[in-house]
Amino acid sequence: MKDRTLVQVALYAAIFAVLGLLPRFDLPFAAGVPITAQSMGAMLAGVMLGAWRGALAMVLLLFVVALGAPLLAGGRGGLGVFFTPSVGFIFGWIAVAFVAGWIMQALRRAPVFPAALIAAVIGGIVVMYAFGIAGMALVGGLTVMDATKACLIFIPGDAIKAVLVALIAQTVARGLPEALLSRNA
Amino acid sequence: MISLYLPQRTWLHAVPAGWKLLALALISLIAAPLDSLPFMAALMVAVLALYVSLGKAALAQIALLRPLWPLFLILLALHGWNGDILLGIVVLARILAMVLLANAVTMTTRMDAMMDAVEPLLGPLAWVGVAPRAVALAVALMIRLIPLLFALWEALNDSWRARTGKRGGWRLLAPFCIQTLRLSHHTAEALAARGGAPRRGRR
Amino acid sequence: MPDAPSIHLENVTLRRGGRRVLDAVSLAITERRVGLIGTNGSGKSSLVRLLNGLLAADEGRVTVHGLDAKAQAGELPGKVGFIFQNPDHQIIFPTVAEEVAFSLEQAGLPRREAARQAVPALARFDRAHWAERPVHALSEGEKQFLCIIAVLVMEPAVLILDEPFSSLDLPTRRRLETLVAGLPQQVILVAHELDAFALYERVIWLHEGRVAMDGPPAAVIAAYRAFAEGLA
Repeated sequence: MKDRTLVQVALYAAIFAVLGLLPRFDLPFAAGVPITAQSMGAMLAGVMLGAWRGALAMVLLLFVVALGAPLLAGGRGGLGVFFTPSVGFIFGWIAVAFVAGWIMQALRRAPVFPAALIAAVIGGIVVMYAFGIAGMALVGGLTVMDATKACLIFIPGDAIKAVLVALIAQTVARGLPEALLSRNA
Repeated sequence: MISLYLPQRTWLHAVPAGWKLLALALISLIAAPLDSLPFMAALMVAVLALYVSLGKAALAQIALLRPLWPLFLILLALHGWNGDILLGIVVLARILAMVLLANAVTMTTRMDAMMDAVEPLLGPLAWVGVAPRAVALAVALMIRLIPLLFALWEALNDSWRARTGKRGGWRLLAPFCIQTLRLSHHTAEALAARGGAPRRGRR
Repeated sequence: MPDAPSIHLENVTLRRGGRRVLDAVSLAITERRVGLIGTNGSGKSSLVRLLNGLLAADEGRVTVHGLDAKAQAGELPGKVGFIFQNPDHQIIFPTVAEEVAFSLEQAGLPRREAARQAVPALARFDRAHWAERPVHALSEGEKQFLCIIAVLVMEPAVLILDEPFSSLDLPTRRRLETLVAGLPQQVILVAHELDAFALYERVIWLHEGRVAMDGPPAAVIAAYRAFAEGLA
């Protein structure tokens, strides 16, 4: 592993943690709905770093959480979080970052905003909810249908986050094109 | 460093981290497929007894589960809707017992002891070209970066407010990403200047 | 220091993005205290990065204390310590002891031994009480001092400081200058604070990738000042 890869992986794991610890954002269009910015971290890691590095950043984050650091939103952490019904979402972040990064690399020639939006929506919603619902069904002893019902209320928030991630990617591409490592790998 | 670790020593602190992890893994393997109310009730009582034996500070940590209540209510409601409230109670007891048990391990094990306990498991990573020492380095670097990124966010927020009078919120994320990437570039250079990240085949 | 301090650049050219950052520079540096000055973008930082293997020359040859900078690049970090402008960018670990232990490990000590030796290493700089401190609780000057300690425990033969004082107040800067002055290592200091070179043996002024002037500090700095006034 190159020094730079190692630092970037650690960086996006840390960004994910910081997003969960920051005071709650006032997201546009969602006034009043409590949304933590944290799951944006998984989409961002994939969109910015690409598939492998983004996924590694999430693996590193989960590893440090398992070691006992309370880095998830609301100061949660430790081994306990891996036994909650949200465990599917938690492991899903690895897949979110990988898929978002992979799409970003595949759409390298497309304009940044639509590419990042597709990456964030497919990674951050389709993939994340597939994992999240599976976890909810397994740990909560629910049918897939019921588990889906239990998760649906979060989807609007994640849709907003996907749009924000695409906006951020576009702004970054204008400000410092080489920062979008998923595109120049 | 921020941690869920309880500084007051208890008897569970003295148990080696590897044993605690092994016990947790075994209990979760037994409990996962078992849908028996008596078993879950017994497990729940055992876990509560464990917390009592660990003292007040440990019992206070049960409050950490508060954010989970809404989810528990939804679970119970869905099971009730399907006419199997008993299964709902079993599932809930299992989740509660396992989360509390896992938290007890985290509360009584220092992060570095946990790292040492899992390090032998990282050995196989060397086959894919990742030195176990690089993992330790990445963990340390990430923990070190968190306060640094906070400070960077605060600085961006201040300069935003100095010119607009409002908090920057999500609008700061793009400049934040750009600046953190610049920071990571410098950090990687400084790491290389000291001989670089450990690679396979090096000590 | 067993080997004589000798750094040689022969006709070194470095290109970045089509621009010649260094243009056929030749230098023989055998003095123990050497300053490097010049405007932003003059090539100072690139030049010192060649000496530690962070950059590789496109043309020409660089040797540092007998090591070829290209063929033996892997050995350079052990031979040449490098201090950067912003200490926050080079501190890797959350606590002081871990930061120092990492250097000891990079220098070849086994991990447990490195962890044990970190406190005695800090004690050599009278900073044993820092061991358990989180690095983000240190002041800017203390962080820069920690960076220097972390590099010195690797026992390099050369210490390169690339604008290390930019964010320090005057008393802190003076303390670090005194510390650096007492070191046995060959020191190459890049700085904009021209009074820092008073006791140096030699100052090199780089301009647009070439050596504009090279010699005793007083003469070179006077010429550089006159040049800067002319631009203003």
